[in-house]
Amino acid sequence: MSSSIIHKTIFVLDHSPDFLKSCNQSTDYDILAKGKASGIIPAAPIFKSLWTCSVEAVMEYIRIVYDIFPTNKLISVVTGSQALNEWSDEQNMVQIMNRLAEIGPPTSSDEYNLVNGLTQAVEELCKPTPLQKKMMSSGDAESVGNKGRIICLAYAKSDGHMRMLEECVSGAIEQHNNLAAETENLLPINFCELDLMHVVPVDEVPTISPRVGHEISPILSCTVHVSESGREQYNRLIQMAYNHYRLASTTVTGIPMKEEQNASSSANYDVELLHPAEAHDEILKSDFNKIGSNFLSGSVEGLMIDSKEGLPISTITLKWCTPKSSVQDLPACTGAYRITPVDVNSRPSSCLTNFLLSGRAVMLEQPRKTGVKVVSHMLTSHGGEIFIHSIPTGRSILEDPPSISEGPGGRVTDYRIPDFREFMKENRLAPVSPAVAKISTQLPIQRALHHVERTSRFWPMVISDSIIFNMASHIDPLPSMLVKERLSDDDELECRKAIFHVVGMETRNEPLPVNLTGTRIKGNKREQQYSQMWSELETLVRAHANTSEAHKRVLECLLECKKPSDDRRKLDKTGSGKEDLSEVESAWKDLDKYQKMTDHEKREFNKVEAAPEDTGPLVKRLRSGFTEPLVKTSGKQSLLSIWTNRIKSVHSQRHEEFIGRQENKGTIADLYRHMFENDGNEEIPVGKP
Amino acid sequence: MPTILALDVSLSMSRPVKTEAGGEDFSRKNLAIHGLSTLLDYFTANCKLEFTSLVVFSYLWEQLCAFTRDVDVIKAALNTVGDFSKTCFEPVLRGVSSLVVEEFGGTTPVQVILVTDGSTGVGPGSLQNLLQAWDQGDNSIRCPLPFPFKGRLTVVCLASPIEPQLKAALPMFERLIELNNGAGDIFVPEGALDMTSVGEMFTRVAVKYYSPYRGLLTCGHLKSNITLHPAPTPLDRSSEFSSAQCMVSDRLEICGFMDLGDIASPPTVSRHLVLPLPARPGNEVKGEGDEEEEDGKVPSFTVLLHGSLKVEGMVALTRVGPDWFGILYSWADSKKKSSLMLSLFEPGPDAVSWLGTLNYLGPIADFSVPPYGEEDNCSPFPVRPKEKRSYAQSCVVWIKSVGLQADLQKVIRHARKLPDKQQQFYKELNRVRKAALSFGFVELLPAMAAMLERECTMLPGSSHPDAALQLTHAATKLCSDMAKDAAQMIMPLRTNFSTDDV
Repeated sequence: MSSSIIHKTIFVLDHSPDFLKSCNQSTDYDILAKGKASGIIPAAPIFKSLWTCSVEAVMEYIRIVYDIFPTNKLISVVTGSQALNEWSDEQNMVQIMNRLAEIGPPTSSDEYNLVNGLTQAVEELCKPTPLQKKMMSSGDAESVGNKGRIICLAYAKSDGHMRMLEECVSGAIEQHNNLAAETENLLPINFCELDLMHVVPVDEVPTISPRVGHEISPILSCTVHVSESGREQYNRLIQMAYNHYRLASTTVTGIPMKEEQNASSSANYDVELLHPAEAHDEILKSDFNKIGSNFLSGSVEGLMIDSKEGLPISTITLKWCTPKSSVQDLPACTGAYRITPVDVNSRPSSCLTNFLLSGRAVMLEQPRKTGVKVVSHMLTSHGGEIFIHSIPTGRSILEDPPSISEGPGGRVTDYRIPDFREFMKENRLAPVSPAVAKISTQLPIQRALHHVERTSRFWPMVISDSIIFNMASHIDPLPSMLVKERLSDDDELECRKAIFHVVGMETRNEPLPVNLTGTRIKGNKREQQYSQMWSELETLVRAHANTSEAHKRVLECLLECKKPSDDRRKLDKTGSGKEDLSEVESAWKDLDKYQKMTDHEKREFNKVEAAPEDTGPLVKRLRSGFTEPLVKTSGKQSLLSIWTNRIKSVHSQRHEEFIGRQENKGTIADLYRHMFENDGNEEIPVGKP
Repeated sequence: MPTILALDVSLSMSRPVKTEAGGEDFSRKNLAIHGLSTLLDYFTANCKLEFTSLVVFSYLWEQLCAFTRDVDVIKAALNTVGDFSKTCFEPVLRGVSSLVVEEFGGTTPVQVILVTDGSTGVGPGSLQNLLQAWDQGDNSIRCPLPFPFKGRLTVVCLASPIEPQLKAALPMFERLIELNNGAGDIFVPEGALDMTSVGEMFTRVAVKYYSPYRGLLTCGHLKSNITLHPAPTPLDRSSEFSSAQCMVSDRLEICGFMDLGDIASPPTVSRHLVLPLPARPGNEVKGEGDEEEEDGKVPSFTVLLHGSLKVEGMVALTRVGPDWFGILYSWADSKKKSSLMLSLFEPGPDAVSWLGTLNYLGPIADFSVPPYGEEDNCSPFPVRPKEKRSYAQSCVVWIKSVGLQADLQKVIRHARKLPDKQQQFYKELNRVRKAALSFGFVELLPAMAAMLERECTMLPGSSHPDAALQLTHAATKLCSDMAKDAAQMIMPLRTNFSTDDV
């Protein structure tokens, strides 16, 4: 597995007295407000040192990278022989700035050898980043790639000195790789790129010659850059960032901005932004298309021009479109990339960034001399970060889609949309803090899936398919309680109350509050409606019965309350539920069958059945609730046994079994078993009318 | 994905095919038309929404049909194809590139089906010449590959696999596909070259690239069989350390819901129409009533979902594979017609930074404090990063002297309003000082002191006496050794006039 080289970058800053030299480029720091303080001469300009210019340029490099790639593109700074920051997921400039302030510039008495810094850098490269650590712990440590880049800014003495530095890095890598191979928490370096930048004061003739990338060893490639200090060094470093991280530049043109001095007039400004090059992929492709075969891309219609900030890079200009009040919701965008302004503190830049950070969005238009305007990008912020979004400009392959109403289910009109809206709101998602998510046994998204599963167990899609969801006010809060993972005693009581409420309605023979016109409910007798309602309610409660013991008790409660006769009534009238056919029914069927038999068949039947007549003595013991079956239908039966069974079943229905015996599986009943249960249950008889 | 049918109409295509039976007389062009018709019939049966365009080429090329969903138009055009000059691949590949980019831009994947007889041309402009030039880095004729769009190059050869000409051509076609970053493949008929084998070959192309997607959309126990248009294509998922190919699962699971405003405008790799499939034959047996035969009247979950998402302005976060997500939402092409749309994120749990890690999104029922507020008036999104970006904090950049001047002027402005702006004055002073120390720009400290002293001399007579005291104090401190210690702050001078201490 290979890793990308930009995962780890290390800057090595020369901390030798040579770096104290003046950069030879003056800085005017004292400006006098117009009209004021006439007669005063501004202070003479001051000069930054090579160190200061290098630190400034490095910090800009870091600022750009941290802004555009806040994670996984790590940068560490080494000076003297210590690293100022560690590989960390939370990289920030303030930390590096603070450490730099502690270290301070080199002093004339410093005895510093650049070799120490470079060796330290190699050592840092061997240390795994948090991401690499994660991979090492999750899998095969050998497969974790480890590449990196060292950028060294120094005032070197000679070409020979440079050679020596290259050799030293090569040696250090070899040495550290040997060490890392034996050490558990170090990673050998697979490949390293070394950029040595020799910095000279402005107008000094460099004694060192630049060298393009050359191989020192199979795992080390080196480039020698020579740059004047000050502005040029900054340009070179930004260009390096641009190349190393594959960035591109967009200049937003025509930003209307009020004049600082004169608020009533406004002028147009340009702001140059940097972002990953992918944001330009589309625009460059259509550009490729327009120009002929032997052209190099760019330069058409002034699309690509030189950086307006004077950087040695090209930029694409896009025109600001004054934002409309409402941004079209959810525009189809193919990419969102973080941006950073080239000149972050300039007035136009900060006006633009503040505007975007306040939550507005700006569409960007391609400059075209003719034809319709093409909006190809959008700038907007999310969570305090500004992104450039690419918007596809070509024809959509999804144009003229079939309307959903033309497809399956499109002509049904009574979907429970208001109820599903509630369902969606209950199943909304929210971010769980990573700290909590890491310690929980289940991923939050898995919990979300379970929640959706639980809340959808019994969910008729159309109004006409359901009675109970049309009488929500009567069964509330039963449906919402059942979907809970745990039911408290109070919750359970609420559920029971809802069930008793429905029992009460039935007892009082109230009509169900359902508008039956157009529904698919079969039969319109009140009795049938209740029967269907009870079976729906049972399906609902049964769907959740396995969630917890309390849920199970709610089901038991429902089954107790649901009149035993309901089942039968349903069976008689709908003829469904064949599995539930009681043995009584099958006995009746046998009788019917017997009546239809021919004489010969009857004889045959009786011959077999007549032999053992042993069911008689059982009669007295056959009581419901006992372990013996109510009726014996299997085996040999005579007409007499069928008849007696019939009589027995009629009697057993009239006879009401002792409640204690009903609730006990065995033949011995516990008395007063509710006495020790909590108060909640005692209220039950009160709720029951 | 849209398709460009590029048909070779060079003279060699009109060669008659010799059959062993010696029966019917037909040319390679007849075979091509027969094969393409087979492919088009497959489109009609399986992917009515695909766009197809017909291009013919020889030495020049011409688009006979613009991209259309009307297969009959293409079939009609096929019958009018004439015979032209010699085979040349470079102009047509370039032409195809410009046609596609012009029409769909660079992000829509397009299938290019090159139908040829396996002859690669002769002399200048022949494939062997071109490949040689490109391989040697000769850019006098720029290589049109890889396509500037996400294109797949499928070469369909109308030649018997035993023909020596084809044997010579195959490596060259393979090289072409290599130049297209390996995206594409070659089809050759199996067995003798006749109507049957060609039809069978085009069916192979159709099955490989145009098989409709079939999947199950689930929202807990609510389910619907669906298809996606366009069918999702495999995607490369690359991270810092690895890359792998992933494919949309045939089970799309809704994990939960979010507000449209919260999801904002996430980057998506592709968009697909979600179309419910008619109930499977197995289910039809169940429906007894006659009226239920009609699909439109059988309730479908997709319709319920679409209606609710539209009214509520929400999206359904949907898991489409391991660590891969997308969103379902209502999308309207015109005002009248709206459809259910699936937008796929980049594979990976960190596809949309402002939603946080997607695997860390949990049901609101799990929160002790309602994340959307008691009154449903706030939102837990966007998820903010720990660190602010440079443009959202006051970072110091003095690359241009304007930056330094602006920071110093800010100090001076506060200095002129002493003692009212004392707190701000010292805050800015220390900020500039600290930045100077970080940059190792110690030369700035005495320079600043000089500026403050000059301000002191220019104070008007009416100014508060404390102003002069504070300016002198600040200037003295800036020149002291203490100023070079970043750990210390320059504090205001306590004077009799100080009001802060009261």
